[in-house]
Amino acid sequence: MPPRVYPDHVVHQLERVTNLLTLLLTTRQHLSFEDVRHALRGQYPDNLAAARAAFERDKSILREEGVPIDQVVLGGDRAGATGYRIIRSEYEVQDFGLEPDEALALRVAVGAIRMGTSWSQEALWKVDLESHLYADGVLGVELPTDERLPVVHGAIAESRSLSFRYHDKDRVLFPYGLLARQGWWYLVGHDTGADQLRTYRIDRIQGAVTVGETGAFERPEAFDVRTAFPADPKLLPDSVDVGSDVAEVRIDPRDLATVIRDHGEECVVRTDSDGWVVVNVPCSNVRAFMVWLFGFLERAEVVGPPALRDMVVDWLRESVRGGKS
Amino acid sequence: MSRKRGPRPVNLRLRRLLVMLPWLAERGTVSTREMAEHFGMSVPDLISDLTLASLCGVSPYPLDLIDLWVDEDAVHFGISKYFDKPLRLTPPEAFSLVVSVRAAAAIEGDDSPLARAAAKIAAVLGDEAVEGVVVEVEAPDGLDDLRIAAEESAELELQYWSPSTGEVAARTVAPIEVFAEGEHWYLRARDLVADGERTYRIDRIESWRATGRTVEIVAGERRPWFEGSEDAVPVTLLVDTDWLWALEKYPLVSVADAGAGRHRVTLLSASERWLDRLLVRLGARAKIESPVGLAERRASAASRVLGLYERT
Repeated sequence: MPPRVYPDHVVHQLERVTNLLTLLLTTRQHLSFEDVRHALRGQYPDNLAAARAAFERDKSILREEGVPIDQVVLGGDRAGATGYRIIRSEYEVQDFGLEPDEALALRVAVGAIRMGTSWSQEALWKVDLESHLYADGVLGVELPTDERLPVVHGAIAESRSLSFRYHDKDRVLFPYGLLARQGWWYLVGHDTGADQLRTYRIDRIQGAVTVGETGAFERPEAFDVRTAFPADPKLLPDSVDVGSDVAEVRIDPRDLATVIRDHGEECVVRTDSDGWVVVNVPCSNVRAFMVWLFGFLERAEVVGPPALRDMVVDWLRESVRGGKS
Repeated sequence: MSRKRGPRPVNLRLRRLLVMLPWLAERGTVSTREMAEHFGMSVPDLISDLTLASLCGVSPYPLDLIDLWVDEDAVHFGISKYFDKPLRLTPPEAFSLVVSVRAAAAIEGDDSPLARAAAKIAAVLGDEAVEGVVVEVEAPDGLDDLRIAAEESAELELQYWSPSTGEVAARTVAPIEVFAEGEHWYLRARDLVADGERTYRIDRIESWRATGRTVEIVAGERRPWFEGSEDAVPVTLLVDTDWLWALEKYPLVSVADAGAGRHRVTLLSASERWLDRLLVRLGARAKIESPVGLAERRASAASRVLGLYERT
């Protein structure tokens, strides 16, 4: 097999960026573009404008990779020019001080939690230099990902406000917490416009999220993102009033196990003479209740409250009538 | 290998170099094969990047260059001059590390080496960074036994309630893994009778037992839902746009604006009963566009359910 061949400029740029990084990392004083060009002579184009453009591209690659480049306006004989250096303590990953068993647990955790990105693998390489390959385990948790999640997380960690668009409205939020629940990421925080605690689904945020200054707010001590909203959507109140928060439903015995799994043995009211079982199920959110109910098709029947039964019948009749397409 | 691909982007090569160099500095000499495997790259790519790194430094003088050389099978590292430690964590890396420990802790509980690791991560990244993220993964009863069965390649007999038939039936399977996705936990396994890979929802396994035999199978990457399943039929629906929320839990093949307040949605239907459920849930807010033969499906499913209410 012939050796791999890369286009010249690609090799050249990686080499030049690496050289620039070593230079900025070892310099004791800030270096101007001219200083850099002199130190790395022969590597930037002769044409000044082209060299400047290449230098900007190199810096932006370093910044995109997370390299912190300190930037100052220089004085003295270089007055007015911008000076650059990288402060080693800001560049280097902090020491997490993990013991071998902790590092192993972390490796297993990273192997099990799958977000469809290489982020956590990259993180592991950095915090655990001793690490050897972790074997893929037989246990996994799939979580959705979104490029805005790290931005939101950074804002929570540093108490920065967040601005974004949601349901076609601009929002400014003090973010308190992120919650992964039932396959979605939720952001909970204080909406400064509404002056209320609000929950947003990350994937429904429209466009980019921008962050404000650090220390913009203090999270209430008693705040717990888990209790910010109920787990069962049938418990989330909606605007439909059927006269009760609890529905009585007759269930085919073949599906009883499923209902008991979700609602516990205590939901069972009685068994009818035909073997079907009457259960009590929350219906504060009628729409969520109907989604649940129709999962059983002809094996579940609403007995009451009457208003809810009527709604179900109307829905089914409409489905039959509009059925021919 | 004849697989063609473009040049690897500069930023990815740089990213990898900045973790590889400190790793190499800790070890001195490492075989190229072991190192390539560790960092998930090919040996030629590794050698190419390390060779290039050996030409880098603040000046082209040998004393200033990164002190490493590559021979036939091994990489040798000399004195570390520039990169003693990896680059600090980027926001996505910090986030995903926190998510991993929080999710795994939800399964394992607090009293574990993982909890201590989480505390150390919080000490570095800040309490808010760790406590501000909650991942809910409630492990069902018996999950650990299934996980162990998968680890031990134990052949299992499941009593499984199938949503497509609405009946419980026995399946003999070779377990591959257990995993959580969305609201549920699943067992991925090879059905030894049907001789195909299947995914079983764990809360629908009424009971299971180990047969006492072990089966070693080679399992590939997990495929997306229903992909490759012979039973899956693509179904295209026209759905009122303000009812798209009802489809959020379904794996969709495509979604496009169809105008007039509607969206055209294509999904893979796993079974007729599965499709009936979806159609009754959506009611008059959706209709089947194709296959044409299924156009009356919603009406027949809804009238079957309506039958419960119209008995005299």
